[in-house]
Amino acid sequence: MNEKIQAVRVYRRNLTIVLGLILLIFCLIPVFVKSPYILNIFILVFYMSTLSMAWNLLGGMTGQNSLGHAAYMGLGAYVSCLFITKAHVNPWVSAVLGMVVVGLVAGIIFFPCFILRGPYFTLVSIAFGEALRQFIINSTFFGRASGIGLPFKRGDSFLDFRFAGKEPYYYIGLVMVILIYLLMKKIERSRMGYALRTIREDEDAAAAIGINPIRYKIMAVVVSAMVAALVGFFYASYTRYIDPELMIQAKSTESVLPAVVGGAAYVEGPLVGGLIMIPLSEFLRAKYSAILPGINMLLYAVALLAVIRFRPTGILGWYMHSGLKKTIDTKILKKPPVEVLEAVELDKRRGKEA
Amino acid sequence: MSIFLQACVNGLLMGGFYSLMGMGQNVIFGVMKIVNFCHGEMLMVGMYLTYVLSTTFGLDPYLCVPLVAILMFCLGAVIQHTLITPSLGTKSFTNLLFLTVGLGLLLSNGALVLFGSEYRTIPTTYSQTYISLGPVNLALPRLISFGVLIVISVVLFAFLKYTKTGKQIRAVSQNPVGAEVVGINTKRIYILTYGIGTALAGVAGALLTGFYTIFPTAGASFGFRALIVVVVGGLGSIPGAFFAGIFLGLLETMVALFISPSYSDLIVFITFIVILVVRQLIIIRRK
Repeated sequence: MNEKIQAVRVYRRNLTIVLGLILLIFCLIPVFVKSPYILNIFILVFYMSTLSMAWNLLGGMTGQNSLGHAAYMGLGAYVSCLFITKAHVNPWVSAVLGMVVVGLVAGIIFFPCFILRGPYFTLVSIAFGEALRQFIINSTFFGRASGIGLPFKRGDSFLDFRFAGKEPYYYIGLVMVILIYLLMKKIERSRMGYALRTIREDEDAAAAIGINPIRYKIMAVVVSAMVAALVGFFYASYTRYIDPELMIQAKSTESVLPAVVGGAAYVEGPLVGGLIMIPLSEFLRAKYSAILPGINMLLYAVALLAVIRFRPTGILGWYMHSGLKKTIDTKILKKPPVEVLEAVELDKRRGKEA
Repeated sequence: MSIFLQACVNGLLMGGFYSLMGMGQNVIFGVMKIVNFCHGEMLMVGMYLTYVLSTTFGLDPYLCVPLVAILMFCLGAVIQHTLITPSLGTKSFTNLLFLTVGLGLLLSNGALVLFGSEYRTIPTTYSQTYISLGPVNLALPRLISFGVLIVISVVLFAFLKYTKTGKQIRAVSQNPVGAEVVGINTKRIYILTYGIGTALAGVAGALLTGFYTIFPTAGASFGFRALIVVVVGGLGSIPGAFFAGIFLGLLETMVALFISPSYSDLIVFITFIVILVVRQLIIIRRK
C-alpha cells in the first residue's frame, strides 16, 4: 500500500508543478512581451474564455443552448456603467451591483421560460437578447444607440479600476479567468453539477429521482448570467466605452465558439478553445481584413465546421482519448493506473470515517 | 384611414415573405427536429444568385426564380449530405445547432468576401411602377412577388398532402424509426427536405430582389422571423406557417404605424416570447 500512496503523491506533485509552470508562464508574459497589441489579444482571450465558461455552465453542463450571452454581458456592462456615471458608485461595488441586477433579471425572465425545452429555450434566449438591445437603443436613460463612456481621468487608480497601460488589465483578467475556472470546477463537482448533468441527459429521469429541474436550471442561468455580467463590467472598464453593438447576435455566437471548439463537455474546454480560436481570429483579422474583408470570419467558420464535423467532442474530447495524453501522463506526470488512484482515494475516505 | 389601409396592405405583402421563410424552416424543423440557424443566410444566397444570374445573363429577376430554386435545392442537398447527416448520428443538439450557426457565418462572410459590403439592387423597367387600388398604392414588384409566393405555398401544401414523396416526408417527421421500418429511405428524405427548405428560402430571396437591397447580412432579420413563424404557426403545419407569417407582417406595420417604427422589433420579440410561453402553458394544462 505504501508504494501506492507514494506513487499517487508523486503524480499529484508533478501535476502541481506542471500547472504551476503554466501559470508562471502566463504571469511572466507581460514582463517579456511589451507589445500592447499582443497583450490586448491575451486580455481578449481572458474575457472571452470567461464568457464562454459562463455559457458552458448552461450549454455544456445543463444542455440548455443559450444564444443570448452577449445580452447578459451587455446588460452587466450597462448596469455597472450607469452606477458609475449616474450614482458615482465605486467601480468594484458597481460590478457586484451589476451582477446582482443581471442575475435577478435573468432569473425573473427565464422562470416562466424553463417549462420550454430543447430548441425553444434557444429561441427565447435569442429573442430576449434582441429585445433587450432594441430596448436600450430606444431608451434615453441607457443612452440610446450612442452608448455610454466612462469618465477619463489622469493617473492609474486601482480603486477606480482605471489604468493607462495594459498590464494591470492583463493581471486582473488572468485572476478573473482563474477564479471563474475554480468556481466552475467547484460547481461541476458539487451536488448542483451532478444535478445539472443529470438534467442534460434526461430531464424526466432527473425529476423522477428527486431533482427539481426548474430550480436547478434557474440556478444555472442565474450563475451563468452573473458571470457574464462580470465579464461585461471588465470589458466596459477596459474599453471605457460601451454601446448597444456590444450585444448583437454575432457576439453571442462568438462567445460560444471557444466552448464548442474546445469541448463543451469539459470545464477546461472554453479555456483551450479560447486560447486557440481567439488568437487565430485576431491574426486573420490583422493579416487579411484589409485585403479581403470577411475572410477572417470565413476561415473562422471553416475551422468551426471542421471541428464539429470531424471532432464532435471538441479539441479536449480528442485529446482525452489520444496517444498524446497517454504519453504525457506516463512519461511526464508519472500517473499511476486508475485502480491505484481509486484504491488510495478509498483508503483515505475509510481513514477519515474511522 | 387610407394610411391604415396602406399599412395593412404593406404588412400583408411583407408577411408573405415571412410565411415562405417559415414554411422552409417548418419543413426542416418538422422532419429533422433541428433549428436551421442559417435559414436567413440561405435567403441572402438566393438574392446574390439572382443578382449574378440577372447581371451576367441579363435575365429578368422573376425568370431567375426557377433557376435559383434548382440551384438552392442542390446546395441544400449537398450541405445535408456532407455536413448535417453525419452529425445527426451524434445526437448532440449543441453540435447540430452550432453546425447551422457556423454555416450561416460561412455563407454571410463568403458573400462579404465575394461581393464586398456594398448595397446592390437589380434595376428593372417596372421597379417604380405603382398600381392604384382605391386609396392604396401597390408597388408592382411586391404584388408579383406576393402572387408567386401564394402559388408556391399552395403547391407545397398539395405536394406534402397528396404526393407519395410528401406523405413519406410527413411519415418521417412523425416517427423516423417507424418510417424506416416500413421501408422509407430516411436519409434520402432528409436530403430532400433540407433541399426543399433551402430552395424555399432561396426563392424568397429571389422574389425579394425586385424591391429590396442586396447585402451580405440581408437575411438576418428574415431568418429569425422564420423561426417565430414556425413556433407561432405550429410545427409541421403549412397553413399555420402561412397565417403566422401574415400575422407577423401585419403586427410589424401596425406597431410602426401606431407606436413608432423603432419599436417594431422590440414588440415583435416580446410578442414572440409571450406567445411561446403561453402556448407551452396551455399544452401543460391540457396534459
